[in-house]
Amino acid sequence: MKIAVVGKGGSGKTTTAAVLARTYARRGHETLALDCDTNPNLGISLGLGEDATEALVTVRDALDAGEEEHASSADDLVERFGATAPDGVRLAVVSAIQNPEPGCP
Amino acid sequence: MRVAFVGKGGAGKSSLAGTFARVLAAAGEQVLVLDSDPMPGLALSLGVPSVDTGLPDDAVEEYQEGGRRRYRLRSGLTGQGAVEQYAVAGPDGVRFLQLGKARGPRWDNSRPHWAFQRVLDDLPGDDWSIVGDLPGGTRQPFMTWGRYARTYLVVVEPTPASLLSGRRLARLAASRGTPQVLAVANKMRQPDDPDRVAAGTGLDVLGAVPFDPAVAEADRQGRALLDAEPAAPAVAAVRSLVEALRSREAPS
Repeated sequence: MKIAVVGKGGSGKTTTAAVLARTYARRGHETLALDCDTNPNLGISLGLGEDATEALVTVRDALDAGEEEHASSADDLVERFGATAPDGVRLAVVSAIQNPEPGCP
Repeated sequence: MRVAFVGKGGAGKSSLAGTFARVLAAAGEQVLVLDSDPMPGLALSLGVPSVDTGLPDDAVEEYQEGGRRRYRLRSGLTGQGAVEQYAVAGPDGVRFLQLGKARGPRWDNSRPHWAFQRVLDDLPGDDWSIVGDLPGGTRQPFMTWGRYARTYLVVVEPTPASLLSGRRLARLAASRGTPQVLAVANKMRQPDDPDRVAAGTGLDVLGAVPFDPAVAEADRQGRALLDAEPAAPAVAAVRSLVEALRSREAPS
């Protein structure tokens, strides 16, 4: 099963995604939660805590850093740069914009 | 006054920005309201009936530069002219300009988007106040879509996710050319909530807006808060924000 949660700002996407992920995990499914927001907060809703959420290295940054050997697969990326949230949900953050620079909307 | 509202999705940017602009306009100022969110929202909070009024495709013309296709305002059209011609008139005399809404993957939004950018590069002068509403999150604020602002107002709720977003947005303060970044503590329920916002974001708090069911009710009705409930506590708080910012933003 692959689900993407979308909607207007403030409508409850992150909360919905987090509850879905933990519910599937509790039912015994292996669950990956992907935070694709450039202002990633899914960790907080999953119950990972503020500090751990802020400390997550984004997969994109990990790819750009170029200091480590390339991960061999998507599974490897999630394994190396993800975090484990309550109920065993694995969380990975795709990209975050850290600092101001010009660009598209 | 030139202000841009930023913050996490759902923090209350549009409700506050719409009310803020109306309060300024009702005080007799010429106010241009800028909505660069590709999802509808600010029109309703402002009390403008049309939710999708982006700039027309022919506001810009194509030209080549270094072998690349680029867009500029069409010959003879200035930013001020685009505002006069295309900004929608709203209640209390506000003028409202939108980025234009996302029309689906098969629709090319690039001309309205470039037109909006070019107007941002050539906004009317200091006899206008400008109130902008940016989409939730850090993407647009970090990509200079609020570059007209003399003040960024980061709208923050007393929740960890909103505080974390506020902390990220506080990095705007460290970037060049941004004179002022302040927090607005929104949906306050406890006396120490504004202190939590100050501590959690590291920003000065311009003012606090109480949790007010009238805001949610106005949203539910699709009406401007100022029209639905002019005596609401949140409206009074926004009036205080306007006054507080008047004394903090350098006179233009």
